[in-house]
Amino acid sequence: MGKRVAIVGYKQTKHSFDNLVSRERMVYELVKSLYSDIGITKDAIDTFILASNDFTDGRTISEVYIVPRIGAYMKDESKVESDGLNAALYAYMRIQSGLYDTALAIGFSMSGSEFRAPMINSYVMDPAYERPRGLINFHSIAALQARVYMEKYGFKERDLAKLTVKDLKNANNNPYAARREQKPTVDSVLGSRPLYAPLHEAHVSAYADGAAAVVLASEEAAKRITDKPLWITGVGHSMDTYYLGDRDLLRMDSLRSAGEQAYRMAGIKSPKREIDLAELHTNFASEEPVFAEALGLFKEGSGKEVVANGDSNVDGKMPVNPSGGPLGANPINAAGLIRLVDVCAQLNGEAGKNQVKGAKTGLAHGQDGPGAQQNVVFIVRREK
Amino acid sequence: MANETRIMESPWDLTTYSWKVEADALNLFVKGLKDKKILGRKCTKCGTVYVPGTSYCRKCLIDIDQVVEVRPEGTLDAFTVNVSDIRGNPVEHPFITCTVKFDGSESLVMGTLEGWQDWHDVREGMRIKVVFKDVTTGALADLAYFQLI
Ligand SMILES: [Zn+2]
Repeated sequence: MGKRVAIVGYKQTKHSFDNLVSRERMVYELVKSLYSDIGITKDAIDTFILASNDFTDGRTISEVYIVPRIGAYMKDESKVESDGLNAALYAYMRIQSGLYDTALAIGFSMSGSEFRAPMINSYVMDPAYERPRGLINFHSIAALQARVYMEKYGFKERDLAKLTVKDLKNANNNPYAARREQKPTVDSVLGSRPLYAPLHEAHVSAYADGAAAVVLASEEAAKRITDKPLWITGVGHSMDTYYLGDRDLLRMDSLRSAGEQAYRMAGIKSPKREIDLAELHTNFASEEPVFAEALGLFKEGSGKEVVANGDSNVDGKMPVNPSGGPLGANPINAAGLIRLVDVCAQLNGEAGKNQVKGAKTGLAHGQDGPGAQQNVVFIVRREK
Repeated sequence: MANETRIMESPWDLTTYSWKVEADALNLFVKGLKDKKILGRKCTKCGTVYVPGTSYCRKCLIDIDQVVEVRPEGTLDAFTVNVSDIRGNPVEHPFITCTVKFDGSESLVMGTLEGWQDWHDVREGMRIKVVFKDVTTGALADLAYFQLI
């Protein structure tokens, strides 16, 4: 099954609602400190993959302004117009090709300070059927999905609020998160500004300024760079149909498929037993039970009991988003890659108050498109 | 009919963008222009001189802050004669857009060229000097044009 590919370096910025610097300066500082952390220079990187998006970046070919800032001047680089975990996947494939030994993948966004993410996102919608009527957008699609799940499985608004509190508390313990809610409670969540019922402001991820980067390496190169490589044992990716009317919001077929591919490749028979934690790219808290179940991490429809038992807490049976997930910081185009960085930190025991004890195998998820149309799954494993 | 097509009008007015840009090198350049000077930055590691300056050297990936002044003279690098506008309409008074390399700098500065009669006589490598506006305000437009010497 191809070559072994390792993660030999990973880093994220301290995300914020306004980082007060340009994106060029942000990625430059991040990448330089990443190189320094792992004891390499830019010359050690064979290929560079950037994740950004022209229309959220406000200019076309949005990566070109960043290319020299990450040390890719006069080197090989490419871009994905999507979430950052796609950049890691692209980098992984380039190493698999045998043409490259090392790759840097980076995702970045200024979605905290430079534009209104929900407004921009609404331009993703179809111009013939959806945009003219303005009925659906990322928020309302998530609300439709939340409603379906809640009705079908008796998942109440208070259950969703409790799950949200779990993420917000984890975010408070995460030094990289942008959002700091003073003492989040079920009542404070339900008392936050209602947006698209049943969703309130507290359920929505924290659009922020931020970036994340990882360095991938072939087995030989990994041994030169580090003595504790983290191995990518499985990857999966899948794209659902664009038109919402042709999708099953509850089943999440593309996520299901991405997960199955990754598990098959990693030789995972029982994700519930073999995975120690999952970092999911949830743009809304209500996506968490839907995604986790599509990935087979919990029994279908078990959201209510998972929340009641604390199964997805840091010290639960299957910790989900111990970092707080995108509810703590959601720089568009970096959010999925941040999931991978957080998983790596967990596997190396660096997650501080949010550390999952003895974590050895982690799942990172990235997504893009309204209602998580496209999904990427990584399985990462620590050797010893 | 499977191949029927129709037109749907739909707005694409995205948003106003609040760019944050690195200001130190830009500020240095326009501050120089206000004093009728051309200022840039030099990488102390590889010696590259950037005009206008940058905050970092793209070759060495290090921050740079050494200010250098270059003489407001240099050579014509490349040029085009604007005989039309972007829509293809002819312009009444054709003008030259050019790139110029100041003596001692590696980067090129763009502007307009004056001091020629027939553009067929203009050649790369001709010497130029900067003409500043009479009253400078600390803006990019303080650099009025390049004059053939
Ligand atoms: Zn240099």
